[in-house]
Formats: sequence, structure tokens, C-alpha cells
Amino acid sequence: MAVAALALCAATVADADLEAGRRKAELCAACHGPAGNSVNPAVPSIAGQPAQFLSTELFLFRQGMRKDPQMSAIAAGLSNGDLNDLAEYFSSEKLAPPKHRTAPENAAAGPVLAKKYNCVECHGRQLLGQQHIPRLAGQQPDYLLAQLKGFKAGTRADIDGYMTQMAQPLSDKDIEVLVDYIAGLGAP
Amino acid sequence: MRVAAVAAAVLAAFTTAQAQDKPPAAPPSWQQGKPPAMAESTLHPFAPHLAGRPAKDLPTDKLKVPAGFKVEVWAEGVPEARSLARGEKGTVFVSNRLSKNVYAVVDQNGKREVKTVLKGLNAPNGIVFNKGSLYVAERDKITRYDGIEDKLDNPDEGKVVIDGLDPSQQPGHFWKFLAMGPDGKLYFNIGAPGNIVMPNYMQASIMRVDPNKGVLENVVLGVRNSVGFDWHPKTKELWFTNHARDWLGDNSPNDTLHRVARKGVHFGYPFCHQGDTLDPDYGKNRSCSEFTPPVLKLGAHIAPMGMRFYTGKMFPAEYQNNIFLAQHGSWNRTTKQGYNVIRVVVDEKGKVIKSEPFLQGFLVDEKGDPPMWGRPVDVLVMRDGALLVSDDYNGILYRISYAK
Repeated sequence: MAVAALALCAATVADADLEAGRRKAELCAACHGPAGNSVNPAVPSIAGQPAQFLSTELFLFRQGMRKDPQMSAIAAGLSNGDLNDLAEYFSSEKLAPPKHRTAPENAAAGPVLAKKYNCVECHGRQLLGQQHIPRLAGQQPDYLLAQLKGFKAGTRADIDGYMTQMAQPLSDKDIEVLVDYIAGLGAP
Repeated sequence: MRVAAVAAAVLAAFTTAQAQDKPPAAPPSWQQGKPPAMAESTLHPFAPHLAGRPAKDLPTDKLKVPAGFKVEVWAEGVPEARSLARGEKGTVFVSNRLSKNVYAVVDQNGKREVKTVLKGLNAPNGIVFNKGSLYVAERDKITRYDGIEDKLDNPDEGKVVIDGLDPSQQPGHFWKFLAMGPDGKLYFNIGAPGNIVMPNYMQASIMRVDPNKGVLENVVLGVRNSVGFDWHPKTKELWFTNHARDWLGDNSPNDTLHRVARKGVHFGYPFCHQGDTLDPDYGKNRSCSEFTPPVLKLGAHIAPMGMRFYTGKMFPAEYQNNIFLAQHGSWNRTTKQGYNVIRVVVDEKGKVIKSEPFLQGFLVDEKGDPPMWGRPVDVLVMRDGALLVSDDYNGILYRISYAK
């Protein structure tokens, strides 16, 4: 019901602007939290993400290339204008400091792994993302874990193949350390 | 203090264990070959806005063409618009690398419409239309779709012409450009699987296949990645664009334009670049004299893509048989250049006379990230002689026309 309502109301507005995005985004808060700051460890925060990354993921959901029971259904009814408006709006919101606290040993080991496994080559040295590359710093841990496992298994959508390739050498322990480290980045 | 000491001890133990049990992970293919001196470089490739961007939100008024020419937005909302092919009944087919679909732009009841004609393909970058059929080159195969212009809403299942064209199944230059030669054979590239690596037996090549027999042949070798080619209307020789390697600095090596005087020649990759510059690694103990040089150096990192000889009747006579060539870059350069469509004047015998910018204005901030608001990919001569230009960054097609 909520899904249908979002799709319906989203389809009526076409202009790419923040206000339009804000209106279209109202129902997103049910899962992604207020202004895109998730409070559910399994759901990603989308506040402050690069706009191009957000519109790209919405596009992949809509086209059936990335799959998720909720997101696939929601994205199916969105126009290109909707994707861009939603992306602009959530990108303009500020990411709240993460609740997650990294274990001290992982705070030391995490940056070594992030460099060794090339995370920093695309996501940036601070893992803040850019353009079509997502911000990782401070992302919800269960979500990060599911994505890395999905990339390693080859089941997570990956437009250019880089994440699938980069995830292959990761051990379960590596993934655990990286997730714990990344999810706590930016904590006060 | 104590936490830090513990952490340092854990870290030391950890890194030692890691160093012993596994080799370092390979970097992404676009980083491959980056020398230690450039380790701190933040240069990176750009990706398209897959959902497209509306032309009204873009500075299209910045686009500039020579006097007498006009450039306008012809179609928008064509996701990641890359290669262009023209049907016999006026359909313009548009491919992409990442979106898995092939689109068609048609004029219906006075309205221009974008249709999704093929779905679920694997990097369908190469498209060419010939004798009623659309051929599509995916990552691993080429498929033929017969009579497709009459059934755009419900095309037949494709017939595979050839498969097994993805020999390494890894990232890096896996997309193909596709063209039909005057000999009735399909020509396509198989790019090098990384920035600067030794290609395997069928990589860094342009190949061809007889669509009726399915037999493959090497046409030329030593081509890092070509994403555009065409045949000179008079000499019938194959010409192609080539992307040179990255991470050798802002001004080296040049991307290049090549002419194929005979089958089987080697253009140098990975040993020699731009016909005269040995690779710092692969070029040791080699000489550029054993390879065929380009006919034109196009500038470093400008990423030449689609190129076509102009055979239309609309542009002034001096444009006849000139090459229009789209520049998709640069990114691997601290000060950006390119992002134009250029005109290359070629004489009757296939000698390059000069080259000059033709469509400019996408590059707006040579130090910016991104430096441009649009990226030309392919060019197509329309039946009326106008020139279409695709822009994958925004999902837009532009039309350039001429009026006296």
C-alpha cells in the first residue's frame, strides 16, 4: 500500500529540485529513517550520499539489475525525473554520526585492510565516496556485511564488475574487520 | 595510551600474518600499471548518470559548432547513450555498456519516442544495422535480430552469430564496438583486459567474422582498445581509433587514429605506444620500428571513440569524406582536455591533411572533478546528412545540421 502510494505520488512530479525530492521522499523514511539517516543496522543510511550514486542505484533497482523485495517494487514506478529528484534531496541531507563503535583492534587493522584490498582506490582515502561511488564511512554494519558477502558470492548487482572482483580475496575475518571499522568511521 | 599500545601490537601481528598468508589484492583494472610515483594521484574515471539528466538542466547553450552549423538536442532520456546505428526505415538504435538494454528512437505521429527494444543483454555496446537486421555485440557474443524495424515492440528472439568472445571474463575493456565491413563481415574489437598487460591470444585486437560461416579472423593486433571504426568511402580501407595506456603522465602517450593498409599488422600494444614511444616495462629490449605507427596523434588521454567518414549531402563539399571523431575523455590527466567532436580532413588517397575541433563546449573546468557536463561517444550520419552525436553521461543525442 505504501509502496503503491509512493509510486503514484512520485510519478506526478517531474522537475529535478530539492523540494520535489523532499515530497517524494516522505515514505522512504519508513525504512531509511528521518532524512535518510537509518536507525536499522540492516538498512543503509542514504543521507549525504553522492547524488549520482543514489540515482544510479535507484536506476539499477528499477531496471531489475539490483534486486531487493522492497526497493525493487518501489523503484519500479519511478520516472527518471523521480530518481534524480530523490537522489538530489537525500544527497543534500546531512549524515548523522554513526551509533556503531569500532573495537580498538579493528580500528587499527581496518585501515590496513582498506588499503590492502583497494577500498580506498575508488571510495577515497576517508571512504567518503564520490560521484557514482558510495560513501562507506559510518554506514550501517549489517547492511555493509550483506553487501560484501553478496559481492563475494557474485549475487550483488555490480555494474562494472570491480566490487565483485575486489571482494574475492576477502576472508570472513577480513569482512568482519572491515565492516566493524567502516561502520564506526565518523563516530563522535 | 594503553589502547593505542594494544592496537599497535595487534596491528603488527595482524599485518605479519596477512603478509604471510596472501599476496596483495590486485587493484581495479583502471589502476593497473600505476607507478609508485603516482600512488597519491586521485585521478579516476567518470561514470555516466544512468538515469540520464534533463537537457533543460544542462548548459547546452555552451555547445559551439562552426559558422553555418547548428547543434540542438534531438532526443533525451536514452540511458547511457553510446553506439548509434541507423535502420533503413528511420529508426535510430542506441546501445550502452551498463544498462543491459538496446533502445530505439523513432518518430511516431510527429512525436519522438524512446523505446526499449532488447532487454537483459550483457554489455551490448556494439550495434550495427545491415540489410534489415540489427546485429548486437555483447560482452561474449554477437546476435542477429532479423526484421527488427517492423517489430520494435516485440522483436524476434535473436540468432547467435558467434559466441566465446570474452576470453578472460574479467573487468577492463570487455565492451565491443561493432561495424559491418564492405566485405560483408562483422568487425569488432576485443580490448586489453587491463591498462597495460600482456594480452592473450585474442585480446588487444580487431577481429572479424563472416556472419554466415561464423569463422573468426584477426584483422589487426597490438590495439589496446578501439571503440570506433569505419571504412574510407574511396579507398575502402579500415580506419580506427585507439585508446593508449594510462599513468604515464599528462602528455604521454597520445591516443591515436589508425589506417589499416593490410590485414595482420601489429600496432604496438603493449610494447610500443603512438608508434614511437616504448613502454617503460613491456618495451624493454624492443624497438618501435617493428610496429605500424598511427596516421594521427590525437592528444593524450582524450579517449577517441566513435568515428565515421562523412558521406552526407547536407554539409559543405569540403566536409565530404572527412572523419568526425568523438572524444570521451580525458580523465587520466591533471589538466583535462578533449570532450569534443573533432573533424579530421583526409585526402583521396587516405592521407591526413589536418584536424580541428568541430563540436566544443562539454569541457567547462579543466581542473574540475568532473571537468565536463557531457561526454561524446559516437557519431552517425543521418539520411538527411545531419550528424547525430551520442552523450552517455546524460543520455542525450544531439543533432548537428548545416544551412547556407
